[in-house]
Amino acid sequence: MGTQDVQPPIIHFASLDKILSLGRANSLWPMTFGLACCAIEMMATGASRFDLARFGAEVFRPSPRQCDVMIVAGTISKKMEPAVKTLYDQMPEPKWVIAMGNCAISGGPFVFEGQYGIVEGADKFLPVDIYIPGCPPRPEALIEGILELEEKVTGFRRWPRVEAK
Amino acid sequence: MLLEKIKEALSSLYEEIQAAPETPAAPEAEVKAAEEAAPEPQAAEGETVQEEVKDEEPSAPPGPKETDYKTKGYHLDVELEPGKVGAAVEILNRENFFLEAITGVDWIEAQQLEVVYDFNNFTELCRVVVRARLDRSNPEIPTISHIYQGANWHERETHDFFGIVFTGHPNLEPLLLPEDADFHPLLKDFKA
Amino acid sequence: MNGLLQQDVNQETFTLNLGPQHPATHGVLRVKLVMDGEYIVEAEPVLGYIHRMHEKMGENRTWAQFLPNCGRMDYLGALSYNHGYVAAVERAAGIEVPERAEYLRVITVELNRISSHLLWFGAFVLDLGGFTPLLYAFDDREQILDLLEAVTGSRLTYCYFRFGGVYNDVEDSFISGTRAFIKRLRERLPMYDALVTKNIILIKRLQDIGPISKDMVRRYGATGPVARGSGIPFDVRKHEPYSVYSEFDFDIPVYQEGDSMARYMVRMDEMVQSMRIIEQALDKLPDGPVMAKKPPKIVKPEKGDYYHAVEAARGSFGVRIVSDGTNQAYRLKLRSPTFSNLSLFGEACRGMLLPDALALMGSLDLVIPEIDR
Repeated sequence: MGTQDVQPPIIHFASLDKILSLGRANSLWPMTFGLACCAIEMMATGASRFDLARFGAEVFRPSPRQCDVMIVAGTISKKMEPAVKTLYDQMPEPKWVIAMGNCAISGGPFVFEGQYGIVEGADKFLPVDIYIPGCPPRPEALIEGILELEEKVTGFRRWPRVEAK
Repeated sequence: MLLEKIKEALSSLYEEIQAAPETPAAPEAEVKAAEEAAPEPQAAEGETVQEEVKDEEPSAPPGPKETDYKTKGYHLDVELEPGKVGAAVEILNRENFFLEAITGVDWIEAQQLEVVYDFNNFTELCRVVVRARLDRSNPEIPTISHIYQGANWHERETHDFFGIVFTGHPNLEPLLLPEDADFHPLLKDFKA
Repeated sequence: MNGLLQQDVNQETFTLNLGPQHPATHGVLRVKLVMDGEYIVEAEPVLGYIHRMHEKMGENRTWAQFLPNCGRMDYLGALSYNHGYVAAVERAAGIEVPERAEYLRVITVELNRISSHLLWFGAFVLDLGGFTPLLYAFDDREQILDLLEAVTGSRLTYCYFRFGGVYNDVEDSFISGTRAFIKRLRERLPMYDALVTKNIILIKRLQDIGPISKDMVRRYGATGPVARGSGIPFDVRKHEPYSVYSEFDFDIPVYQEGDSMARYMVRMDEMVQSMRIIEQALDKLPDGPVMAKKPPKIVKPEKGDYYHAVEAARGSFGVRIVSDGTNQAYRLKLRSPTFSNLSLFGEACRGMLLPDALALMGSLDLVIPEIDR
């Protein structure tokens, strides 16, 4: 779960942990945090064709108190950075961050010498778990990113991998 | 034709500029003759005024310039002193023009900042561009946000990018940059 | 906002912050609201949360390197922004475009306009509380995206136009697919009409909400469906025809009431008109090259400044180029329609209920990265 400061439990229940992590992976609730163009692909992923409800993740909650995963979709500007940090802090544990799109990974196409307005990547101030490249990434790429996150949460891959022929 | 009407209305703003450096005793008819550069039967006096104008400005006399729409994209180009822009905008407002955009251009070699206003009309196609050049070290120009309320945001944005101060603006705070920004990014000598 | 800080002790207003993270603001827009209960006393939009320095990049990039930026400003109608920029540079540099390329430009731009309006329709009704039309609208939109992806290569942020034409020719499957799609959408639109437009809940939410007068439109410079919903028949495609729009027979929907329902109806009718344009363009599509014979390798417009406006999905998008004869722009000004459309929100929503103000904001069709550029 990234670099969060969570006190480890005193007593470990192995199978209970497994069930809990399966439950968390099956129902990752994302936050409606679309900043720019990638937000539209996030909406398209949640809409009819690339249905994200199959994976339990279609309940986009506007309030950070009710979310598990923050999908940073879009460019983070320097004016917006404190707001993003506040939203991340408001999410309850356990929480994850997916950096969707080139802008959230490393500033994207807006990095040039003398740039004054954007933060070059969400991982400059947030612990990012999954990176999804693309400008914007296809909805299938976002689904693959969520499946990778599920693998990170449960420890094993629950869905078939797409093979390149 | 709207274009002719606007051109005539705006040329009245240039008469004052012409009258001041010339002999103040010269009657208005002669000043108009110098502007139009068309010979009028005014004998010697008209000719001397024309010669004076030619000495000072060998190029085209100041006034609203009609431009070729096909190549430039607008019809009328009006370059004015900063103080006259308000009067020009009032004329355009009376003729029901609407403000498309206000922006600035940084002419760093000439040490000037230029403010460019784009106007358009809903009923008849007539694009008017009003410009004013300001001193780069102290760029100030009166606001037009009391005439066109849409100019409020355009002027804030131009102030953000170039540091041009629009005197009389209700709240000239940063619009696109962070609230505490003290830099003006689109100046040519801006370093991040 | 200075006057509002000195509040009377007896005054019972409070300040409410809407955004920047909010499901209904369609991007990162923050609105500072001073409320008296549920009524808005004063509203001030705060921008800049997605300011991505497009105009500065215009000066730092060559003319051709700026093309990808055009798609990212208004990502829902990226092709019209491509068109505006490319047409401005072509006007400045005197580059001729072959006819087939112009027709392809019109077809793809109008398809993009329909997809933008479909997404607006879904998101708007979602703001008002109805979730289902979003799914139907996205289904139709995905079909357009399939067609455009086969031609341009991208789903959302297109970069299809080049100086002198377009870079890829279309295949017959595109033409037959577009005709099939138009036929299908023509049969779907009456369903939207019956289920959503004639729905009593929508009518009650939108009729007489957020009236914008003609004078307000003129004072703020609002264009597009906002102006056409208030009775001003201004459309850049008819007002100053560019490309090959003068060869098509289409109407401009204009409604006189000026409320949110009028703006809604303008956009729904515009989709029908766009389909008309596409059909005529497909019928008249000439053969020929899609790129100018000798496009300049390095574009260097003459010194001077130039302006070009196109009709984007949200209004009149203008590009002002100041060129100094080199291969980079000296100054590139992008006149975004939503910037002027949103500026009237502060005056228009005074005294309204908060949900009505959100209906007004949705009917203005905001895309915030286009405002912040």
